[in-house]
Amino acid sequence: MRADILTLALIVGLFTWAFRFFPTRADISRLPQGGALSRFLAATGPAAIATLFTASVVPFVEGGLPLPLAFGTVAVLAVYTASRSVVGATMAGSVGYGSGVWLLGTV
Amino acid sequence: MSEMTQNSTFSDGLLAGFPIVLGYFPIAFAFGVAATGQGLNGWEAFGLSLIVYAGAAQFLALALITSGAPVLIAAFTLVAMNLRHVLYGPALLKRAGAAVSRRYAWAWAFGLTDEVFGAALGQLARGRRFSEPFMFGLGLAAYASWLSGTALGAYAGGGALQGWPVLEAALGFMLPALFLALLLSILSRAQVPVIAVAAVATVLVSLLVSGTAGILAGMIAGAAAGLLGLGGRDAG
Repeated sequence: MRADILTLALIVGLFTWAFRFFPTRADISRLPQGGALSRFLAATGPAAIATLFTASVVPFVEGGLPLPLAFGTVAVLAVYTASRSVVGATMAGSVGYGSGVWLLGTV
Repeated sequence: MSEMTQNSTFSDGLLAGFPIVLGYFPIAFAFGVAATGQGLNGWEAFGLSLIVYAGAAQFLALALITSGAPVLIAAFTLVAMNLRHVLYGPALLKRAGAAVSRRYAWAWAFGLTDEVFGAALGQLARGRRFSEPFMFGLGLAAYASWLSGTALGAYAGGGALQGWPVLEAALGFMLPALFLALLLSILSRAQVPVIAVAAVATVLVSLLVSGTAGILAGMIAGAAAGLLGLGGRDAG
């Protein structure tokens, strides 16, 4: 492993671990229920997942809304609604998107 | 996924990590393929996954390494990209309850990626009790999948998926599909405004500035919306 790549990996890995670990040491037991920081932290989860979904989809919609994306999204929604299964919905989304690509010959 | 019981063992964590395993493996495989395709050797690709363990940052690292960016500049960029992770621990523990053990957080927090955070939050939302063995199981399943996918992708080498464009496209949608499924698993009516604000901010800032800035903006805007009471009195 080249020294510059190892150095880069160690710096980024150390900071990433620190970002993930040190905030868990914060004492949140005294946060008042319904208080400002409590509301902020409670909204962080849905906001983070919504953000990551949106960010992961943006490259798919740049240059127009491709039908395969619609196929994949509808497949996730349909399978999750029917089964409440994250596994099944994820697989269905992937199959739906791939099917859309295959059907439309967009690759 | 089945209804939750109160069990939160290491094995429960491994099982709960299965969707992430499915989502991570193809992405990690694609990373291994891309890394070797851009001139890294197999050990370098695997080393990035082993030490950094942050998917988006690793793909960006490839671009920075191959563009010849100085190590410190590249490191600063990637560290800034991962800054969002500071929110995950407190948000997870807020949901878990203040009295839970955090004795081994120094270890399980290493695996607190976007997807592990999302899956853990989804499990807690459906009645799962937080425990450190559960977090170890969840994190280990995801980490093992990420490492094995990277190793296989690096072994297959650059261009391994070139003859399989439909498969490549399907695998490329695995992560958005996982995020959408995770979002559905924690969705409640009270949180819709928070989600909408986060999504709009992500799109606008991604298009106007950059994808990394869009991620930070979306998370902060959504959490700020919660702070302003748009997510209910104590959503989550």
